Amino acid sequence: MKRKIKLLTTSCLLLWFELTVVNPATAQNFFQGQTKLTIVGNAQIDYLHDSTQSQFGNLAFKPIFLVSLSDKLFLESELEVATSSEGVELVLEYANMVYFANRYLTFHAGRFLPKFGAYRGRFGEAYLQRFANSPVGFGDGGIGAMTEMGVGVQGGAQVGDSKINYDLYATNGPQLLTGSPEEAGQFEYEAYGNNNKKKSIGGRFGYLPFSNSSLEVGYSFQHKASTGDRLTPYENTTFTAQAFDLNYFKTLEAIKSQIRVVGEYKMLNVGNQNYDDGNGSSFTFTNKSSAYYIQGSIRPTQVDNEFLKNVELALRYSEFNTPQGAQWFADGQHVRTQTALGINYWYRWNGVLKMSYQKQNGVDGFYAQLVYGF
Amino acid sequence: MKKTKLLIGSYILCALTTMYLYGCKPTQAVTEKSGATLWSENCQRCHNLPPATMYNDDQWKAIVTHMQVRANITKEEAIKITEFLQSSN
Repeated sequence: MKRKIKLLTTSCLLLWFELTVVNPATAQNFFQGQTKLTIVGNAQIDYLHDSTQSQFGNLAFKPIFLVSLSDKLFLESELEVATSSEGVELVLEYANMVYFANRYLTFHAGRFLPKFGAYRGRFGEAYLQRFANSPVGFGDGGIGAMTEMGVGVQGGAQVGDSKINYDLYATNGPQLLTGSPEEAGQFEYEAYGNNNKKKSIGGRFGYLPFSNSSLEVGYSFQHKASTGDRLTPYENTTFTAQAFDLNYFKTLEAIKSQIRVVGEYKMLNVGNQNYDDGNGSSFTFTNKSSAYYIQGSIRPTQVDNEFLKNVELALRYSEFNTPQGAQWFADGQHVRTQTALGINYWYRWNGVLKMSYQKQNGVDGFYAQLVYGF
Repeated sequence: MKKTKLLIGSYILCALTTMYLYGCKPTQAVTEKSGATLWSENCQRCHNLPPATMYNDDQWKAIVTHMQVRANITKEEAIKITEFLQSSN
């Protein structure tokens, strides 16, 4: 209770400081402003062909609503209307209410894209991603959340020739799954509520050492002391995740091309638990996972040929190491690898046709995706 | 766990050392960068450059604000980039 009072008092003091000391004009303009709405987003469809299936799928329409309420108040929200094997789903991807306190400090609250690593919520977006699907360990069933519910602060600053940026957030966080042996020890990351009274704390620190912003490296973390359902033996199962990410972009005049190298390594450490095996007995395992991917792409943007300058080649390798003893995969394999070679045609700055050949755990597949950005 | 701590420690040390070496203020070369340069450098970190005339003034303001949140571009960069994009209309 004392901690809550302290938190409330600190928040009030920060708000008072901003309104009166940092920018007194804010006090007059706080609730003023002309609401302006902008809609951007994209539509996409996938095609997959391998030894067991050949189908079009994952059709999605994802409008992003940007609402400027004033110079200080901003709202961003994305809806996703997508097809699945069960029909059409409407999902609230995020609805993030933002308050720009000053040039170095921004508060936000709602359902937002957490900056844990740089793939999810950023390079995983269809018009940024160079492949039709995610690296292993970075898509559904991978490590970390796509979206989170909670509050956060963030900002960035120029320091000499370098730049730094930060994000810190408190959210409902991951929820331990225990319902069946196949899911025991995995997490529900995108629930709309909390399963106990604890919150997760997470964040990312980014560093751009060069003045042209060509390189960014980041470190992320997230911790939750209790992830199991309240008042169950699983309640105090801990969750600790970390990630390192890298993004390098450069236009090389010598070869008239743009090159990009992106990569990320993340690891998850979960407290030990005894899970029900469904036959009246229990089983346990050391619940540690890790995943990484490294991707390179090249596009000859400086050549004269109008067709060639829009063609991009991409290569990606990824690996997902899951705990031995877990029963998450029917094939019993705990290390999943994926090698992907792709060729993309950018018919527009945010519109692309992607085609790739991939080998995942020895299975060949052809993936394609059409993206219409708007 | 030791490796992780070492990596984190190294990262913080590098950041602090750079801050010390370069001073805490932006260098003159950085502060004199034009909106067009900042637009090219920052936006291409993640995506291709859209045509500068693609959106109207209000839309550019909203989109650059969105990028402040999503990509952590600084306030100074956001102001210069917005002014450049709006001047293109």
